[in-house]
Amino acid sequence: MNGAGMNEGYVNENFVNEGCVLEAREIVKSFGSTPALRGASVAVGRGEILAVMGPSGSGKSTLLHCLAGILVPDGGQVLFGGQRLDTMKENPRSALRRDKFGFVFQFGQLVPELTAEENVALPLLLAGARRAEAVRKARAWFPRLGLDGLERNRSGEMSGGEAQRVALARGLVADPEVLFADEPTGSLDSLAGERVMDLLTTAARDQGTTVVLVTHEPRVAAYADREIIVRDGVVTTTPAAPAAAAAAASGTGRGGS
Amino acid sequence: MTLLGLLERKPSYGYDLKRDYDGFFGRGKPLQFGQVYATLARLARDGKVAAGDSEPGGGPDRKRYFITEAGVAEVDAWLAETAEPEPHLQAVLFTKVILALLLGRPAESYLDAQRAAHLRRMRELTALKREGGPLDTYLADYGLFHLEADLRWIDMTAARLDKLAEEVRR
Amino acid sequence: MIRLAVRLTLNGGREAVTRLVITAVAVALGVGLLLAVLAADNAIGVQNLRTGWFQATGSTGSNVTRSINGTSRTQVSSRTPPASAPKASPEWWLSSYDEYNNQQIERVDVAALGPHAPVPPGITRLPGPGQYYASPALAALLRSVPAGQLADRYPGRLIGTIGPAALQSPGSLVIFVGRTPAQVARAPGAVRVTSIAIGFAPPDSGEGIAAVLGIVAIALLFPVLVFISTATRLAAARREQRFAAMRLAGATPRQVSVVATVEAAIAAIAGTAAGFALFFGFRSELARIPFSGQPFFPDDLRLSLPTIVVVALGIPVAAAVVAHVALRRVRISPLGTARRVRARRPSAWRTLPLLAGIGELIYFTAVGHPTTVKGQLWAYLGGGALTVAGLVIAGPWLTMAGSALLAGRASRPAGLLAARRLADDPKGAFRAISGLILAVFTATVAVGIISSMTENHALQTFGAAGRHILIAGLTGPRNLQDPNAAPGGVTVPASVTGRLLAVPGVSSVVVSHVPPAGTTADNLVDCGQLARLPVLGSCAPGASVAAFDLQPVGSTPGTRRTRVWPTVSISAARVDRLPASGLLVGTNGATATLEQARTIIETSFPLQASPVTVFDSQGQQLLAAWEQLAEVVILAGLPIAGCSLAVGVIAGLTDRKRPFSLLRLAGAPVGLLRRVVALESSVPLLAVAIVSAALGLLVAELFLNSQLGLNLRPPGPAYYGYVAGGVLLTLGIIAATFPLLSRVTGPEAARSE
Repeated sequence: MNGAGMNEGYVNENFVNEGCVLEAREIVKSFGSTPALRGASVAVGRGEILAVMGPSGSGKSTLLHCLAGILVPDGGQVLFGGQRLDTMKENPRSALRRDKFGFVFQFGQLVPELTAEENVALPLLLAGARRAEAVRKARAWFPRLGLDGLERNRSGEMSGGEAQRVALARGLVADPEVLFADEPTGSLDSLAGERVMDLLTTAARDQGTTVVLVTHEPRVAAYADREIIVRDGVVTTTPAAPAAAAAAASGTGRGGS
Repeated sequence: MTLLGLLERKPSYGYDLKRDYDGFFGRGKPLQFGQVYATLARLARDGKVAAGDSEPGGGPDRKRYFITEAGVAEVDAWLAETAEPEPHLQAVLFTKVILALLLGRPAESYLDAQRAAHLRRMRELTALKREGGPLDTYLADYGLFHLEADLRWIDMTAARLDKLAEEVRR
Repeated sequence: MIRLAVRLTLNGGREAVTRLVITAVAVALGVGLLLAVLAADNAIGVQNLRTGWFQATGSTGSNVTRSINGTSRTQVSSRTPPASAPKASPEWWLSSYDEYNNQQIERVDVAALGPHAPVPPGITRLPGPGQYYASPALAALLRSVPAGQLADRYPGRLIGTIGPAALQSPGSLVIFVGRTPAQVARAPGAVRVTSIAIGFAPPDSGEGIAAVLGIVAIALLFPVLVFISTATRLAAARREQRFAAMRLAGATPRQVSVVATVEAAIAAIAGTAAGFALFFGFRSELARIPFSGQPFFPDDLRLSLPTIVVVALGIPVAAAVVAHVALRRVRISPLGTARRVRARRPSAWRTLPLLAGIGELIYFTAVGHPTTVKGQLWAYLGGGALTVAGLVIAGPWLTMAGSALLAGRASRPAGLLAARRLADDPKGAFRAISGLILAVFTATVAVGIISSMTENHALQTFGAAGRHILIAGLTGPRNLQDPNAAPGGVTVPASVTGRLLAVPGVSSVVVSHVPPAGTTADNLVDCGQLARLPVLGSCAPGASVAAFDLQPVGSTPGTRRTRVWPTVSISAARVDRLPASGLLVGTNGATATLEQARTIIETSFPLQASPVTVFDSQGQQLLAAWEQLAEVVILAGLPIAGCSLAVGVIAGLTDRKRPFSLLRLAGAPVGLLRRVVALESSVPLLAVAIVSAALGLLVAELFLNSQLGLNLRPPGPAYYGYVAGGVLLTLGIIAATFPLLSRVTGPEAARSE
């Protein structure tokens, strides 16, 4: 099945047609003797929100980790802005993640002994900002995400939804180029999850942040601009990045996987 | 359409057709003979099936029906096209899957295509929620939840295709 | 059930096994310490029995002396040939202390009066005139040092070494010199003995040393107990989950209790065995620690069989009982324990005992110490104990307050994380280092008091120059016809003075004389000579002879130097003809000079008391040894607390495994986590060590001030060296947890969801 037909009629008015910011080419990754990815490829356009779906154990989290430079694949290439991530050493990769990427996980990322505003300010502090400055920038996010009054609370003193929104603020506070979200609503009920997704997509579109979103829930994936399915270590439905799809529609196509 | 598909599998008498249909798809709602023969007559008129020689004894129930090339093309097209992503899709999808398995078509791809269509619709509904008024939100949510239920079934079925294929081909 | 429990314990997964191993290590340390203390207690007794003969022989009629149990025993020397000699011959016996380079030499001059004279321990027969036996350490010294500084003192030649039966420690310097009866008979202080007091203890030994041993044991045992308690807390949450799971699967509370007990017993058995191995493995190193002022022979550190059995069986049994009782109090329901609530914050009231203790000590300084000795004891022990207990109680609050302060001002993320963690769980953080407080505090108090006392002692008398004066008291030969007559003086030939002055480094010689009958002075001294050693005081202007006091130790500080000796109206010429009562030699303090001068004096006036410098007192050496012991306590206590800290840090890490590993995923460098761990552990450690030491010095100052009227002198470089060594060891232990950090917070931790 080719993917070109899938994307007809789809429009994202904020999409900046600049080509892809993040790309994986035929990634292979095994853990011990268990293969997790067996030649997965995906291209993420700048500013788009991509949902990575698939059953559990399919390797979607591994794909996210490889795209984010957390894991180095055993084979294949990962490119960010044209730069090879898979050949970078640990320290530069770590610095890249710190400077250019933001992360939101399913749960448990807030440091329990820090206050909410300190948690949000952490990425800025790690980048070397002064404390007063970092906290000021962090505080600006609280009313934006409906977290007024929670600045001084610890993670144990707020609901799951509130904590995830704090985590979202932490992921976006340093204005990253790409936000990686791994099941961000996995431990929340529908309403709280919707709120988080709403805020996530709004904020990302406002800042022009590219989002790679791993989820197994269709209603969460519905917030994205497009989705890919990872099954048994390969990406089965790869509608190409809309730029390429547009090119395909005009005849210089690119096949699906 | 279902009867046409069954006919593609093998040419059958009307009686056999009804029996097969009831076995696979009937499930408490068996087809009426009259309905069977009426459909067959219409299909023959449209050129999708052809009647074979009658057995001695006459009457439509003694005719053996074959599918024509036009009929095959129609089955193909029908299988490949995605259904409108509306809730209560189960019957149609189920039919498609069974037929695809019976006919040796790639059932998995049909499911994938349907999933993509569903997701597209869900995207539209989500966008609607953001831009529309409160009433739109409620309606959109209703649609979203049911679409999600469908998708769950699609995923489950996709995972169980092998077993289903065995079952069907017996 | 027990077999199942054993299997469960040993296969409980990496975390449970780690817990087991760490607990066993902690128990091993505790058991090793316990065995060392018990053995040292034993060894002191054994050592004492070996050394009593030197002081006890001939002291009161040669036969009866108190042994350490207080029961008096008589014992005939077992060295004499039995049966054929029904009555042993007597011998002349003169025991004295000599010195070389601040090391004490025990010296016995013997002269047999018959063929079966008693033989001292350690040798097979008595040395004859012109012969001597020396201990191995002394023999080595004799070989290595120029004869003019040491060997010339002992006439004759070395015919053998003294065995361990006569020596207090392997490094003891002992010598038996053979003499003719005529020589020894007239020496002042010689006695006639018919047996040697082997197996007797020196009169006042035991209690003081036992007290010191007790304090050392407690000071070190406390950190070890804290370590054990911290180790058992490791992975406590996981353990509770396991027990809850077992209950859920149908196990009765009793069965769960059996598993817990077996777990504790296994750790205790392994730890006890390791503790025994530690003790026996390090026995020779242990023997070198001067618990009693002198090192032991390794063999002295013996354990009696009952002791071994009690420890080997008692510790595992005790551990099992404790585990059983502890588990009985906590009923493990099948649902496990509820979600952990945040602990209550420590309140400021906790600082009260500490302030009370310090306040009491200050009060006594300002107002003056109680008059009775018992009152003083209560005042200082009470105040000191209150201060230490107060520090332990106030610790969590201090930790919380200090870290909250730091958290408000921290600008780097590592500092912020560490400070907030400490402020969040101050009790947990403080628990690990609380063991350190007692060790550092008591040791610092001891060091402070001792070093100030010894420093002051020297400055009391002659100042720095005190080390440079050699004082020889000279006594005339005994009157054999009238043993009760007062001994006269000796004549100091000019050749002796000349030889002394010829030694490089000797500045002058002063001779003190026996006053003629009827004069009230103790000694007389020529002012002209005295003028050449101004540190000894001076004469009144214009005087030619003054009354003099040979005692090196004055009673009030600082008076000696400026003392003006009272004039005596006798002519200098007459004084010079009077017999001498003593020699004072001014030197530059160099070992070679001192020892050469000493040798010259000893060879010129044999069988007299050995010349001493101000610093010769045995008590000083004992005090110095105890100061070193206190420093060793610090050196040992710090790393033990470090182990507790490391374990606490690891436990804290596993608590925060997920947020930290997710932080790393988000790009935080591993270095950040290392810094957090380092700050979380080393800051409280250093703070507590500094505060304990400061408090210890404060208490020492208050004690010295009110009790002795002295001021605290800063401790010597050795103290800082030991403290620095201990701190470095501790930091090393903490740094050893760093590789664990990378593994615990690696990407795999985030995968398991």
